[in-house]
Amino acid sequence: MIDFLLTQLMGFGGAFYALVADPITYIYLISSVFLGIVFGALPGLTATLAVTILTGFFGNKIPLDYALIALLGAYVGAIYGGSYPSILLNIPGTAASAASAMDGHPLAKAGRGGEALGMTTTASFIGTLIGTTALLIFVWVLLLISQNIASPEKALLALFGILLSGTLMSEDLVVKGWISGMIGLAMAMVGLDPLLSEPRYTFGWSYLLSGFQVVPVLMGAFAIPQIIESLRYAKPGDLVQLKGRVLPNFGQVKKHMPTIARSGVIGTGVGALPGVGEDVAGWVSYGVGKSVSKEPKKFGKGSLEGLLSSETANNACIGGALIPLLVLGIPGSPPAAALMGAFRINNIIPGPTIDPEIILRVVAIMVLASFTMFIMGLFTARLFIQILRLPQTVFLPIVMVLTTIGSFSVGGGINDLYLMLGVGAVAYLMGILRYPIAPLVIGVILGGLFDETFRRSLFLSDGNPMVFISRPGAAILLFMNVALILSQLKFLHRLVRKIFVRS
Amino acid sequence: MAISKDKAILRARDFWGALVLIALSLFFLWRTSFIPLFGENRAGVSGADWYNSAALAPLGIFSALLLMSISMLVTSIKDGGAAQAFSAIGLGFERAEVWRIVTLAIVLLSYIAGLVPRVDFILCSGLLITALIFGYHSGLQRRMGIAAISMFIAGAYALIANFPRSQWNKPHDDDWVTLVVWVVLTLYMLVTARNERVMRFVPWIAVLAPTILVCAMAFGFRQNVPNRGGLIFSQIEYQYYVNIRPMWSK
Repeated sequence: MIDFLLTQLMGFGGAFYALVADPITYIYLISSVFLGIVFGALPGLTATLAVTILTGFFGNKIPLDYALIALLGAYVGAIYGGSYPSILLNIPGTAASAASAMDGHPLAKAGRGGEALGMTTTASFIGTLIGTTALLIFVWVLLLISQNIASPEKALLALFGILLSGTLMSEDLVVKGWISGMIGLAMAMVGLDPLLSEPRYTFGWSYLLSGFQVVPVLMGAFAIPQIIESLRYAKPGDLVQLKGRVLPNFGQVKKHMPTIARSGVIGTGVGALPGVGEDVAGWVSYGVGKSVSKEPKKFGKGSLEGLLSSETANNACIGGALIPLLVLGIPGSPPAAALMGAFRINNIIPGPTIDPEIILRVVAIMVLASFTMFIMGLFTARLFIQILRLPQTVFLPIVMVLTTIGSFSVGGGINDLYLMLGVGAVAYLMGILRYPIAPLVIGVILGGLFDETFRRSLFLSDGNPMVFISRPGAAILLFMNVALILSQLKFLHRLVRKIFVRS
Repeated sequence: MAISKDKAILRARDFWGALVLIALSLFFLWRTSFIPLFGENRAGVSGADWYNSAALAPLGIFSALLLMSISMLVTSIKDGGAAQAFSAIGLGFERAEVWRIVTLAIVLLSYIAGLVPRVDFILCSGLLITALIFGYHSGLQRRMGIAAISMFIAGAYALIANFPRSQWNKPHDDDWVTLVVWVVLTLYMLVTARNERVMRFVPWIAVLAPTILVCAMAFGFRQNVPNRGGLIFSQIEYQYYVNIRPMWSK
């Protein structure tokens, strides 16, 4: 065990040194974390959008190392940046910071805005480090286990990721989440099939032979609905004057360390669930924090404990979300789905066959990004507060131009723009009907893997469906899929209740 | 049990959504029948077995989608969605919102389908930024209409005058038309909305943002950008390669 940890640390040290010694690292790191915080701080822009836009901009245009710095830096920065409008405007900058507004804003109104921001910055920093440490340790353990994963397990795991994401991301009926995932899977079926090169649903259009490209789909799914929805008159929010110093008090940090540590672990755990993002992590941690707190009545009225519970968890979720992405090729959150897109356009397939060096570099980048975020958050907080005054109708048109040029330059030209607009219109309509978008994107990303591994499993077993039961791993995953579906069926709920009442 | 008004609207919309999904599932199930499933012969070559067929996964996916859509339809009918489906309230129809969406659709479609392939990227993006900020910042319906008309004039002209792909990258008068529309819209904005502080910054944002982006993409990342032969970008590219780049090449 000690040998394992030492090897890990040495590998990480090497990757970290290589990054630190390269001056270009700092250019990408500082600019991407800054951009991420700006995206997070501006209500109407999200962490997913930040990573998606940067995927289009940097994805395959610069060496992978620098692209990863830009994307991970923006991811870390944006999740943290969402806390600014939550605390000072009572408007969550990102969905991940929705729980933070409950206590952050009352704190700011009570003249403790500086303290709230300082503690949030520190908690986000520690949370990111907890998630990153878990990534460094567990990714290797899981990678060793995942070496035994074959096609049946991969197919069932991909399906489980889509179903779980649909179940947990649905605001309304769970079936809407599943339908969204199925639409994503259906979109992934377009083009030449991966085993026999049989054209499917191309309607004679040669562009569709290569299937739907990931970046335009990401841009369409995440950017276009956001632009359509937010381009409207919005009354400027009442910005609370920041009072008190932002630099946190060491004693205060020490006092709240148990809350931060607990929330970090919860955030990492939630992040590791396929397809479940930072917003769920924030709420789960907030709920747990309230139930174990000595002062639960203070929650929602300006509790620092409540604020730290959600803010630590949403940043810790980043490291957690990268675990299934790197080990299994299944994104742990919507921004991780965008990261997956960046890997794909660089011809890197995350999963058991991924180059271990890439994982070490990801960990090193995460550590550097969290330090950069911490320093920026503490010393340039007042600059970011100025950004909150910017109306969304001013920056969203620029986002539209960014998505257009980013989508165009990935490779498909004008056809990619049509695809982006089409997916955007569908995603907007789905949003109106309260269908979650993340399962759709995860479906598009995992659809190819599901199709290929599902059919390969049957091919290798001469069409015997028992291949999904005869292997222990596959049997467990099949059980999980079935249990997940059955758990959502109402008539089964009623049946179980009746049986229990009778007994 | 009475359900809330929001939920009633949602269920009415779900009713239509489920019908569309059922229609789509059936259509794609029919299209899936075009893909060989049971090892049919194609051009004398035997197809794959059923378990290896390219139709297998789509068949499962669209069947699942059909079942889920039917379940959605049943839920929406049970919750009163069908009863409200034809009413304006049931559809959630709100005149102001429909106007906003329609004008926005015209703006975005004109930009993507008409302008970006055919007109200089800096010009069409500058026009887009101006139209979107002027049209939607204050929420006035008249401004939304003006923004949509401006984009439509430029987009429709480019689309009609230079429709074929072979004409996309060539310099045409559609660049000039877009420039004129942009200038007119900017002047109109500066006159009519002179009291709004934001509008004073719009021309700067509209010129600088696309210029910086397109130059960064073309010269920084050396990537393909739309319409290299456009009115402004062709000049920038010429100056860059002929006058600027040799300075540090030496």
